[in-house]
Amino acid sequence: MPLLEIKNLKIHYRTKNGVVQAVDDVSFAIAPGGTLGLVGESGCGKTTIAKAIMRLLPKNGRVAGGEIRFNGRNLVDLSMDAVRKYRWEEIAMISQSAMNALNPVARVGNQLIEAMQAHRPVSRDAAGRRMAEVFDLVGLSIERARDYPHQFSGGMKQRAVIAMALLLEPPLIIADEPTTALDVLVQDQIILKIKELLNKLSNAMILITHDIAVVAETCERMVVMYAGKIMEHADTDAIFYNPYNPYTLGLQNAFPSVKGDRKNLISIPGYPPLLINPPPGCRFAPRCPFVLPLCRTQEPPLAEVAPGHFNACHRAAEVEEIRAQAKKEKTWMNAKAA
Amino acid sequence: MAKKKFSERAVVLRHFLHEQREVFRGEKLSIAGLIIVGIFMVLAIVGPHIVPYGPYEAIVDEWGLVPDNKAPSTKHWFGLTRFGYDVFSQTIASSRTAVIVGLISAVMVVFVGANLGLLSGYFGGWLDEFIMRITDIAYGIPFLPMAIVLMTLLGRGISNVIIVVVALFWRTTTRVIRAQVLTIKERPFIQAARVAGASDLRIIYRHIAPNVLPMAFLYVALAVGWAVIAEASISFLGFGDPDSISWGQMIHYVFAAQMFRQAWWWFLPPGLCIVLLVMSAFWIGLAYEKVVNPRLKIE
Amino acid sequence: MMMKQFGLDQPKLTQYLIYMRNLFTGEFGISIRTNQKVIEMLSGKLWNTLFMMGSAMFLALILGVIVGTVLAWKRGSGIDTGGIAVFLALRSAPEFWLGMILLVIFGYSLQWFPIGLMLTPGTHYTGFFDKYFSWDFIHHLVLPVFTMTIFYLATPMLVTRNSILDILHEDFIEMAHAKGLSDGRIMFRYALRNALLPVVTIAPLMLGFAIGGQVLLEKVFSWPGMGRELVEAVNSMDYPVVQAAFLFLGAIVIIGNFLADVLYSYLDPRVKVG
Repeated sequence: MPLLEIKNLKIHYRTKNGVVQAVDDVSFAIAPGGTLGLVGESGCGKTTIAKAIMRLLPKNGRVAGGEIRFNGRNLVDLSMDAVRKYRWEEIAMISQSAMNALNPVARVGNQLIEAMQAHRPVSRDAAGRRMAEVFDLVGLSIERARDYPHQFSGGMKQRAVIAMALLLEPPLIIADEPTTALDVLVQDQIILKIKELLNKLSNAMILITHDIAVVAETCERMVVMYAGKIMEHADTDAIFYNPYNPYTLGLQNAFPSVKGDRKNLISIPGYPPLLINPPPGCRFAPRCPFVLPLCRTQEPPLAEVAPGHFNACHRAAEVEEIRAQAKKEKTWMNAKAA
Repeated sequence: MAKKKFSERAVVLRHFLHEQREVFRGEKLSIAGLIIVGIFMVLAIVGPHIVPYGPYEAIVDEWGLVPDNKAPSTKHWFGLTRFGYDVFSQTIASSRTAVIVGLISAVMVVFVGANLGLLSGYFGGWLDEFIMRITDIAYGIPFLPMAIVLMTLLGRGISNVIIVVVALFWRTTTRVIRAQVLTIKERPFIQAARVAGASDLRIIYRHIAPNVLPMAFLYVALAVGWAVIAEASISFLGFGDPDSISWGQMIHYVFAAQMFRQAWWWFLPPGLCIVLLVMSAFWIGLAYEKVVNPRLKIE
Repeated sequence: MMMKQFGLDQPKLTQYLIYMRNLFTGEFGISIRTNQKVIEMLSGKLWNTLFMMGSAMFLALILGVIVGTVLAWKRGSGIDTGGIAVFLALRSAPEFWLGMILLVIFGYSLQWFPIGLMLTPGTHYTGFFDKYFSWDFIHHLVLPVFTMTIFYLATPMLVTRNSILDILHEDFIEMAHAKGLSDGRIMFRYALRNALLPVVTIAPLMLGFAIGGQVLLEKVFSWPGMGRELVEAVNSMDYPVVQAAFLFLGAIVIIGNFLADVLYSYLDPRVKVG
């Protein structure tokens, strides 16, 4: 049985301009101990899904449909008390700006101990020992527990937050952009550390990021999202070596690679659509270089194009041709005119 | 040439008024505040001319004596003071003092304070240090004790009250505006202006000042409230201008006559007027506070 | 001969040094009005003022913070709007007028509290503690302190409320929720603890105005304190007393500022003293 199963999830935000359909009919699952990368541009809905899982949506957000099943239980229906129980103990989240995730006026160690004592009746000593264990895991020296957050560097704060997430050994950890706010060298360190931990420990992880390179290094499976919908969903290797979806191809072009030939970065022209009253058809149609009239009227269903590999595109059958065209800069320059 | 500049300025002014109207859009409380302050301003101008009696005009009966019963009646809506003065006339006439002291002090406090804040924040260095030290000293001086000492030295009179208020209230505005200037100073558009060769003064007054305007207006609103209460306090202690009348003075007289227990008609109106005027000023401030700190807007 | 008595025949510098020495030894000269030594006149009054102002400020800060936190919690509700409206109205009223109203209601009409003064005339006290910690004193203290408290409550209340509302948007609050901590714990340990910092910053400002309030209320309640002495001395041009009283009042502000600085550095680990 999958650890976490998202089924036809719909999440809406109420704004004064209308209802934003931030997440529209999204389904995916993660097995115990598995690693899943959730990738997409800002605003595609990935963080929204994470927040919905933790019941941390802002006041104007709500789950409008679908289920979030964790070990079989639907989290959407639970009472706040039950929610507080599973938070951190079953699912821990490392949020987007770990920089500011720590209370500035409390010592770092106390914040970790607090997290433990909120869920288990442990003594301070026992909590302290567990804290020493996780500090060791992330590579922080235990003396630093007496310090205040402002005395930590950015990388150290990130490690502290990761350590805090590991405290109760939650079966699932959601890491939302864990490296975005850090400079490149520190990013690398943290990613290596995450890989090490994933190898050592048995927690499952959902890694949310806009940087597909990070996902390439750390996750077994990958979900590519755009404008609230899933575009492609498969093993990471499959997506990198056999991508199907035009959007995925566009993303790959947009990221620099140290290896391989020196080539120009090709970015996808245009902007993601507004999700209030989204137009019918495929959400990527306005920017897709391979768009057909069909794409603008009918939404492509998420179909299995290879074992375990799902793609939402009407032109999936022409994948070889699409892949060849996508490599050329000209294809994307013309996309706007299409 | 001069004609062109005039129409240019008219456009700027119209744009400015438009912006201010936007600040108040949907802010019922603040609009109510504006209306009430407006009413007081009208009273300040025409009040002393339309009231039936002068503030110190004794109402005497045919024997030349002050009537015993001073309670409100159809002839004297707010009744009489101990000395036979018409309370209603006094209350209306006092609006003039309140409005003059309130508005002029507030505008000057913010004018001085904001300019010092702009200069201090922008230039930094020894000028900043100097101004900040003076502000620190000003902070250490309690207002009312200083005020009564100064009133005794300078003599009693409305203009001196204004001087005293301005001399001691500019400090808060300076600190606050300076803090804002420090944040604005580092923004890219300021760097751009500097690179384009704009002079310091131009940068300060053309680029930075418009951005601190909402904060400045907020403090004008607050300062009106502070100034009115300050004048009332000074007058209550007995240091007001004996030639004019103000709400604070009226309360001073009631207290001196020890008649506040019985003569509720004498001591409630001036207090209520102060509450009304000050609260209206604070309500106006609320609208600007929402501009300065947009988080306060409720979704 | 009087010149010699006051040392006015000495060079200016010496006069200044003598003045400073006198200041530190508590030698403030002789009152022109009563011919008493100033220090004797004023020493008792200082405690009267401190007790009244101190209690009021203490209560105003503590209650202000609590009410502000509650209002922030119930943001947007009737309690929130109502609370702000009430305390803003109280803050807009001249406090001496408020004192008079309370005096009429609770002192004259209901007769729950005495009508001014600090102690019942004629009663005899054996010492400092006996005087200031007697029921009589507290009975007289209630109305003036109550007036001052409800007037000054508004400032820390608004600052706390706005501060907490700002903080609730911060990331570490979301993280605290994600950790599964209860709302109450988050409100008090995370939000409030951080929100206290701006309150401590404005406390000294309140103090400056509170001194003014003290002077006014000492007149309304006939409270024998430093404020009343100052006013009387100014009216009768009694310079030595004016000087001394002013010095005492100013010192209260400065010491208050200093204490606030110390408290701030204690509350905010990012700041170190010195």
